[in-house]
Amino acid sequence: MTKRTSKPVRLIGKGMPRVDADGKVRGTTRYLNDIDYKGIWHGVVVRSPVPRGILRAIVPGPAFAGDNLVLATAKDIPGENVVHMHDRTMPLLAEIGGEIRYRGEPVAVVAAATPEQAAAAARDVRIEVDELPPLLTLDEAVAIFKSAPGKLDTMKEQTIVKGDLAQGFTAADDVVEAEYWAGHQEQLYLENQGLVVFPQKDGSILSEGSIQCPYFPVHELNDPLKLPPEKIRVRQTPIGGAFGGKEDYPTMLTGYAALPALKSGKPVKITYERNEDILFTPKRHPVWVRFKTGFKKDGTLTAIECDYILDGGAYLTISDVVMYRGILHCALAYRCDNVVIRGKVARTNSFPCGAFRGFGAPQAIWGIESHMDAIAARLGKTPHEYRLQVHARPGDVTPTGQTLSDENGSTACLKLALKRSDFARKLRQASRGKLRKGQKKFVGVGLSFFAHGSAFTGDGEAKFKAKGRVELARLEDGKPGINIRVSSTEMGQGVHTIFTQIAADALSLDAARIRFPMADTGLVPNSGPTVASRTTMVVGNVVYRAALDLKNQIESFAALRFFKGAPAELRGSRLLSKGARPVSFETAAKAMLAEIGSASGFFEFLLPADIRWDQATFKGDSYPGYSWSANVAEIEIDPLTCELEVKRVTAIVDIGRVINPVTATGQVEGGLTQALGYAVMEKIGTGKNGLYDAARLQTYIIPTALDVPEYDVKFVEYPYSFAPPGAKGLGELPMDGLAPAIANAIEAAIGRRLRQIPLTPEAIFAALHPAQGGTP
Amino acid sequence: MKITEKIDVRFPRTLAEALRLQAGEQTRGKLLAGGTDLMVQWAAGVPAPERATSVWNLPELSAIEMAPDAIEIGAGVTHAFLRDCVQIRRHLPALVAAAATVGAAQIQSRGTLGGNAANASPAGDTAPALLVTGGSVVLASLSGRREVPLDRFWIDYRKIDARPDEIIVAFRLPPKGRAKERFRKIGTRRAQAISKVMAASRILVEKGRIVSAAIALGSVAPTPVRLAQVEAFLVGKKLSPKLIDEAEQLAQATVAPIADIRSSAEYRRWASGRLVRDALEHL
Ligand SMILES: Cc1cc2nc3c(=O)[nH]c(=O)nc-3n(C[C@H](O)[C@H](O)[C@H](O)COP(=O)(O)OP(=O)(O)OC[C@H]3O[C@@H](n4cnc5c(N)ncnc54)[C@H](O)[C@@H]3O)c2cc1C
Repeated sequence: MTKRTSKPVRLIGKGMPRVDADGKVRGTTRYLNDIDYKGIWHGVVVRSPVPRGILRAIVPGPAFAGDNLVLATAKDIPGENVVHMHDRTMPLLAEIGGEIRYRGEPVAVVAAATPEQAAAAARDVRIEVDELPPLLTLDEAVAIFKSAPGKLDTMKEQTIVKGDLAQGFTAADDVVEAEYWAGHQEQLYLENQGLVVFPQKDGSILSEGSIQCPYFPVHELNDPLKLPPEKIRVRQTPIGGAFGGKEDYPTMLTGYAALPALKSGKPVKITYERNEDILFTPKRHPVWVRFKTGFKKDGTLTAIECDYILDGGAYLTISDVVMYRGILHCALAYRCDNVVIRGKVARTNSFPCGAFRGFGAPQAIWGIESHMDAIAARLGKTPHEYRLQVHARPGDVTPTGQTLSDENGSTACLKLALKRSDFARKLRQASRGKLRKGQKKFVGVGLSFFAHGSAFTGDGEAKFKAKGRVELARLEDGKPGINIRVSSTEMGQGVHTIFTQIAADALSLDAARIRFPMADTGLVPNSGPTVASRTTMVVGNVVYRAALDLKNQIESFAALRFFKGAPAELRGSRLLSKGARPVSFETAAKAMLAEIGSASGFFEFLLPADIRWDQATFKGDSYPGYSWSANVAEIEIDPLTCELEVKRVTAIVDIGRVINPVTATGQVEGGLTQALGYAVMEKIGTGKNGLYDAARLQTYIIPTALDVPEYDVKFVEYPYSFAPPGAKGLGELPMDGLAPAIANAIEAAIGRRLRQIPLTPEAIFAALHPAQGGTP
Repeated sequence: MKITEKIDVRFPRTLAEALRLQAGEQTRGKLLAGGTDLMVQWAAGVPAPERATSVWNLPELSAIEMAPDAIEIGAGVTHAFLRDCVQIRRHLPALVAAAATVGAAQIQSRGTLGGNAANASPAGDTAPALLVTGGSVVLASLSGRREVPLDRFWIDYRKIDARPDEIIVAFRLPPKGRAKERFRKIGTRRAQAISKVMAASRILVEKGRIVSAAIALGSVAPTPVRLAQVEAFLVGKKLSPKLIDEAEQLAQATVAPIADIRSSAEYRRWASGRLVRDALEHL
């Protein structure tokens, strides 16, 4: 045996390969539709054919004469016909005599032994509706708001107030006011929505499928299904992408599948084809945002007034929280003493919008970052010098009154982005609508700068208390190892890998002995949903602390069992004690499992005691920590066709401690690409018939590999010291700021400002050639 | 069950056998070449037929013949083959450029020239490039062969001058000779993109004067179209910046595109003229 001391395990900060890579690369990972469930039935949702009306009748046709078939309607709902969500207004299925509020609203669910039979039967249900006139779009809602604000059908409002706005405008030398629009965006995960609900003998249900937040169905279907949380068990299958799209919606889908499952006693599977998935699942919210800003001659912002109206669709679902995150990001990144931000969730007769990476922030940042360039232009300052002057930094106070700590790398992001992209020089060379000699294309460069609040808004984390366990167990090879038990889900973002790294470092144990089984609410404590850029920061800390707790227990056991009570240390997969021969982790853990049976470390997340938040006034510490980023977009526009090409994007990011630089870079590049699609091509709206107007991959256009620009991604690290290992949020940040950087670059290239995304050739054409005109 | 499992697909070995199978056929869409249009249409709800005849890999549809007056390209030739074929590129560069913009590598390996033409979408990428050659389509049926000039082949939205029992065998395309060809597609993105507007042109300039001009556009009308008025306007004139300006405006005045999910009518009208300019600026 060697004498050398064991080296501690240090994986944090290293680019450890993804633990789930092998199966995904080889194609052996089994997603829901790869699993051969025997004896299940197939469910099809029957939907309203009109966007608004009173439901009069549901008439099943001759297809229902046979066996092996069930039709579930609102009458079959065991309890109250409501999905809890955030305001308990949305029925699980539309009721006879009740109001249909959007096209495609579920009216019934058919299940049958084969998908064909179910589909044929679903087509054989006649829905009778007395139609009512719908209000379909945000445009219509905003028109109402502008002419008669009181008439806007608002599902939720919230205002943020800081200082004295009137005084701020009085003190201003100049005012810039403008409106910005953003449309829907589809998540377009590779794997469509799907799950199976198994009715159990004791009346409970098990839902298994592509579910981003396994605890949501557990807590949001109790009233309709008349089942307590312990009787709704949810198990995750490998998820082929989600981006928020599988956050709120699988709750509904579990409800839809549960009804025929409970009625027939058969397991019922519902999966969507792409077309149904695009037409009938939630999208990113369209937003209209208006900024009115007052400032002094020297550029000092004296007043920011903002209205932020979000199209929630027909029901609130989770839109209140999306709006909160939106208004919290409207004026977060700049110094200003007087701020009023008014947020509203408007109701329209369109499909309820839901979660999508960024959660209201990209729309807010699209507005303010376009607007900051407009102010700079009015002042005759360059956009970067102006941002350097007024950007928020440690010691500054946010619109809700939170003082930024010195763990905010805002200045570093901004400065490094300007330097690495050579921004000032490129901006001087921008075309501004005039081609230089020999130049064939307009060139431009644009900047955006922003923060993203990590974790739940306000005191969400304090109230929630994320829980997690790290347990000693016998692994599949019969030897001891560790299971990480949290409800965070792997969706391709790499959480299984980075939690393995965190647990390995905390325990000082070889990562090969650590497993992260799929989330199963029957087995894992509730560490919360995998949303809000909270997982690495909050749940990562839970895993870290729980692993330390387990390490302590292993060391105490080993001290007594192997070292006569002398202190022991688990280090480099061995238990060490001064003057004694080291004992391998395997030996010690085997003994522990044999003699104690089981052991696990546990932790419940706490926020610092001095965190303050008042939900009623929206005052206090709106997020435990902030990630920062600056994006620079370099573009070309062909004057011949108005086609836009994004050539290069620089993204400097402060996400605190970087746990895995390879997966983190992947998150940033992937997020930027999703943001690129949002910025320049992804276009989908509610058509006159109430359906989304781009229902297929042929018409819903996202970037291909050839559309992706060169990326320069760099991290600056300002760790969140309260929660070791010190990560801040990463998931959503890269989605936030590319659209305004590109719009700002377009301004530099052609001298025109576009105020609506996507920034299509049609929009550039309309701006450059107003006489030939047209609508973008 | 997958769509294809429900369809009885027959695989003839020869064109003669395929023609027999097609004899008396009343409806189109039962000839299956690469399937890259048909499979998508069936999945999107277009009723799939009970039986289909595959023309994929039929030897008579895969040939390429280079004669001085015309290059004959089999209808079963794939976009990938066209993209990579140096000889064809020399004589029909616009067609090769068009084939290279169809979908992406996978679709190009499977999609055929015949399928693209018979599918008769106004956005079919090869159509404008075929049109400017002034060539023709060779059709065969049990009752014999006939040739249809390409500018009369696409009669209306998704309608072609071919009976359901006829199989497109080949395209007879005169080489460009000393003329210049150009192809440009404005797509919704850089690959896997259906065009918003596209143009192909074949123009011969001698001593600064335009001797002949063929310009065709896609996605601006129910069918791919030749810009006869613009062509007539150009022929005999000296190439100049002013002429290019006028041709651009004339093209814009000639077309009457519609708005759809991919683009606006105004943009399409404007871009039509811009692509005419692009062709003339590259002579
Ligand atoms: C992802 C994707 C991207 C695409 N991108 C593009 C694009 O960028 N540009 C573009 O133009 N197209 C595009 N297409 C459409 C398609 O690939 C092309 O039109 C292709 O050329 C069709 O050829 P095919 O052999 O696959 O036709 P098929 O699908 O086999 O047939 C199409 C039609 O032609 C008929 N047909 C086929 N062969 C003959 C024949 N010899 N005689 C008579 N009738 C015949 C069929 O009956 C059918 O009606 C795309 C398709 C997909 C799926």
